[in-house]
Amino acid sequence: MLHAVLLRAEVPSARLLAVDVSRACKMPGVRAIVTAADAPGLHGIGIADQPLFAVDLIRYVGEPIAAVAADTLEQAEAAVAAITTEIDLLPTAISMADALAPEAHLVHPDWRNYEVLFEGAAHAGNIAWEATVVRGDTGAAFSRADVTVVESNFRVGRQNHLSFEPRVAIASYEDGRFHIETSTQVPWTIRNVTARILGIPASHVRVTVPAVGGAFGLKFDCALEPFAALLARASGRPVRLANSRQEEMFTCLCRENAEIKLRSAVTKEGEIVGREAVVLMDCGAYGGEQIFLTTMTAHTLGGNYRLGSVRISSRAIYTNTAPNGAFRACNGVYNTFALERHTDEICAAIGMDQFEFRRRNVLGDKDIGSTGQVFEGDVLRPMLDRMADLRSARPSKKGTAGRRLYGRATTVGTWFIFVGPSAATVNLNTDGSATLVTAGVEIGSGSMMQALPQIVANTLGLHPEQVIVRTADTDGSGFDLGVGGGRTTVSLGAASQSASEEVRKKLLSVAGEMLQTAPERLVLAGGRVEIAGAKGSGTTIAKVVERAQQLLGPLSGSGSFTRPGVPAMAGCARGHFIDAIDIPVFAVHECEVAVDPETGHVEVLGYTVVQDVGHAINPRAVFGQIQGGVVQGLGYALHEEITIDADGRMRQEGLETYRVPLAQDVVPVEISLHEGAPSIGPLGTKGAGEVPILNVAATIACAVSNATGRPVCEIPLTPPRVLELILGKNTQLTFPHISPFWEENVLTSQPSGKRDVAG
Amino acid sequence: MNSLHVATSVADAIAALADRGDGGAPLAGATWIMRAPIRKEQHPRSYVALAKIDELQRVELLHDYLSIGACVTHARLAAALAPLPEFRALAVAAGSSANPAIRQMATIGGNLCAAGFAAADLVPALICLDAQIELAMPGESTRVSVEAFLTMRTDLPHGCLVRRVMVPRTTYRSDHVRLTLRKGGDYPVVIVSLAAELGSTGVVKSARVAIGSVETTARRWEKFERLLIGHPLDPADVTEKATLCADELHGREGVEAPGWYRIKVLPSLVGRAVRNIRGQC
Amino acid sequence: MPLHLTVNDEDRVSVRDPLTPLVDVLRDEFFLTGAKIVCREGFCGACTVWVDGRPVVSCLLPVGLAVDCKIHTVESLSTNGDLSVLQKAFEDHDAVQCGMCFPGMLMTLTSFLDREPRATREEIKAALVGNVCRCTGYERIVDAAFSLASAG
Repeated sequence: MLHAVLLRAEVPSARLLAVDVSRACKMPGVRAIVTAADAPGLHGIGIADQPLFAVDLIRYVGEPIAAVAADTLEQAEAAVAAITTEIDLLPTAISMADALAPEAHLVHPDWRNYEVLFEGAAHAGNIAWEATVVRGDTGAAFSRADVTVVESNFRVGRQNHLSFEPRVAIASYEDGRFHIETSTQVPWTIRNVTARILGIPASHVRVTVPAVGGAFGLKFDCALEPFAALLARASGRPVRLANSRQEEMFTCLCRENAEIKLRSAVTKEGEIVGREAVVLMDCGAYGGEQIFLTTMTAHTLGGNYRLGSVRISSRAIYTNTAPNGAFRACNGVYNTFALERHTDEICAAIGMDQFEFRRRNVLGDKDIGSTGQVFEGDVLRPMLDRMADLRSARPSKKGTAGRRLYGRATTVGTWFIFVGPSAATVNLNTDGSATLVTAGVEIGSGSMMQALPQIVANTLGLHPEQVIVRTADTDGSGFDLGVGGGRTTVSLGAASQSASEEVRKKLLSVAGEMLQTAPERLVLAGGRVEIAGAKGSGTTIAKVVERAQQLLGPLSGSGSFTRPGVPAMAGCARGHFIDAIDIPVFAVHECEVAVDPETGHVEVLGYTVVQDVGHAINPRAVFGQIQGGVVQGLGYALHEEITIDADGRMRQEGLETYRVPLAQDVVPVEISLHEGAPSIGPLGTKGAGEVPILNVAATIACAVSNATGRPVCEIPLTPPRVLELILGKNTQLTFPHISPFWEENVLTSQPSGKRDVAG
Repeated sequence: MNSLHVATSVADAIAALADRGDGGAPLAGATWIMRAPIRKEQHPRSYVALAKIDELQRVELLHDYLSIGACVTHARLAAALAPLPEFRALAVAAGSSANPAIRQMATIGGNLCAAGFAAADLVPALICLDAQIELAMPGESTRVSVEAFLTMRTDLPHGCLVRRVMVPRTTYRSDHVRLTLRKGGDYPVVIVSLAAELGSTGVVKSARVAIGSVETTARRWEKFERLLIGHPLDPADVTEKATLCADELHGREGVEAPGWYRIKVLPSLVGRAVRNIRGQC
Repeated sequence: MPLHLTVNDEDRVSVRDPLTPLVDVLRDEFFLTGAKIVCREGFCGACTVWVDGRPVVSCLLPVGLAVDCKIHTVESLSTNGDLSVLQKAFEDHDAVQCGMCFPGMLMTLTSFLDREPRATREEIKAALVGNVCRCTGYERIVDAAFSLASAG
């Protein structure tokens, strides 16, 4: 197998005048070199704005320029070093403030010429995408005489997934087809995007995926696969391409940095009659997932609480930095941080208790979300009550804070399950085992290897260990949107259940004949078919399958699932990829912290989660997801910082400086599952793995604010930042590039490209 | 030439290093040097490994001093010092640096020689304990103070290597306080190593204070030491004195912490060190 | 010059350059892929192996320094297909998620519990500061180790 290495850009913004590979081609062991000339197409989400290799322009440090395959990694590295480039440095737009300044450098001077893949959104210049919500008359609400207006600004940095397995792909090319083995959450996306980039039919790409060593959303996009595929075709040999940890650090599709401005008009009783929000999401050099995620702002900032009227502008901004991507609960995490801290500022402004305000205002049965969607059932309020019960059942940890500052906070969060299409096939074998075939990938959450076998086994009367889960293969299974967004158990689960039901029907009909009993009187359990109420009367499932094979052929069934989505209120949402949310998920978190006033260290003393899970089919697995998700959230809230210097370089290059929580930094999370909220998922389930991270930063930030008496407007709360806060040294957060007038943060309906580029 | 020569004796190592000249360098625990590619540093043509030289592995408690071979690891040093309260600052430093696996590999000699490593734990601990370093070179050996060694370590002559570290036995009480950003597992952003000799009435007769990670190289803090003499070791009082002296320091700007932060938290760490020392009484 | 190593009580020969990190020799030459390469800077612990009984990070150990040493990898923990008590405890506590950190966790904790069979939860956590886990949030790993410590 050949080893591949990418030549990556070392400057954030330049004209790429020439790439000379002639010397590198002659180096020992080199089998193939590919460049932009081999992959001219553009791809993207919403807008096709991204080439595989930099063509003409370099837009970020780390952008691929060429790829080399050689007999050894060292030879490939040596050849990469021998490639020469000719560049002309260009001005940069490193921060979103740079990108939105008057006369800003345009990251994509040709933005007008890009193919739009999803119609309806405004975009112009460095504003890659804009999704808006306008429901009701906020102008009237803010001008009411009886309201208090509260305004807050927030800023968050990037978060690296730090999945232990890096992005890595092995490609081969035989008989005119590619086989790509890769570490991904989205085998079908890899198939389709690779084909688009290579300009070949999608059916010419086969993607297989072994168990994945951590993903968290990082692997929800096509990454190294097209490079490996191009090199495999050019060399005629299998090629392996893996990112080093440093490459993973500086080209990670991070949770994006963002800037958030919130304004609310609130009556003295605590009714929120109007809210306006502007959210700037840094998509980096290319739109990627952020284009899609602009939609989700509506469902987090417009979630949690009843709003009389609301206007939201959610913008993805191009900068000369590495592209960002999806990360567990995505922008929900920082929008919830902003919303909950803003809520506490509202409480302070009107003099209402933080918990009481939430109890009064959380979304309940038949309340409407920001896009006009109607919520079903009272979920958040009983969850808050459960949290209060848990709190009163145990002593406060205030005593353990000692001489440090003590704070506690409770927050709420609203997220959703990203449903979308899935397919499954179930084969029942003559040994009594079943094989489940899907394009789902086990990424460590247990959804594929624990939850799905349980669903199939439950329908067919087997033990979960008798269900063999086929690893993902796009040649062997139907389409799947991918593993992520909490959808695995819901969508793949529903497809698997429907496939199992078809098998069950066939099985029972054959068993009915064998046992001379109507199928509806038969019970499947423990690998046997029994006549209801007469244990031992029946036979083994294996024998029925054997009989069925003689009569009908092998027993198999197929199932599929999707949901078209709940429509939004007419005319209130623009630039949104989905209208509204199929399955909302709610969470209530509470924590107690101690803050060291001398050093700024925040210690988490206790953490409690009440999570809406619909129905928990494997509570132990859900507990594991909650503990892990909360700890990733603690990292985001307290430790994990990425700073980008003026040259567009990330300063944190590895685990020495990018600090994730270690064993001593965490506490066992106290968990209570809220069951019974409405869900369209199989057996009433909701995805449980994504949402645990949702309100962690919010809860920690609110608790630290309560402990220090200072408003927390930025995370992560590293010791230097907290000490700055305590000393009152931090400068007040202002956004010159966000207008105080909401209307001025929205593009005109027809993108002209001239106006409003500066927002 | 092989990229690694495993030396069997100090004489062999000295000869091999002298032979290699600019193209060679000593290699002890390797934990710093193996990360050279990440720091985008070139390896020299050849390393001379010292880890298999028996003499450099010894820890010996002699009448006047403790002798620590250059290739003694942090873990072995911590274990050897556990029953010896007189070297408390060094014991804490050796037992808490980096993480357990690194402590099994990283050596005292490596810690002293890694000039680019501002957060080395053993260095300030050795300064506060007034340690001497014995350098071996062709035909001779010489002793220098740790502070002197730090000024010369980047241009040692070819064939020169750290043979052992000698820590004098005293009646000083000492402690080593390190501030990490997480609870542990980080390189410290500030280190305070403090040793003091207390009179019968509890006042400080003499003191040595060293700080690490605050500036690019660990240093002794003599201005502050002078203020301690003749006063009891009171945490609040020393914190105040440290605050007064802190303006002479230049906080190192780092990816993990800004310079001002290191300076700002330093006095309270001094206070903690003093509290620990009082706890030893 | 070939380098003679003893890996999992077997004599092995590596032909790699002596500065090659031990982990690359174990994985690429001997196909002992239990030790994982994650950070290559000694902070994550996923490549932890025992050298003469001491847990070390094999990403920072040049193979030339491992000559004549006894190396044990995670593959040596189970005997005749039977899991070690700690491996069994990890399974019983349903501690595994993506699994990439577990070989290192096992090597660190097995060695630690040998030395400190009565360790507290806090001591177990302190022993783990060089082992990062990105999935689980640690507590179940600590529970699994503590179940052995408290069971005696």
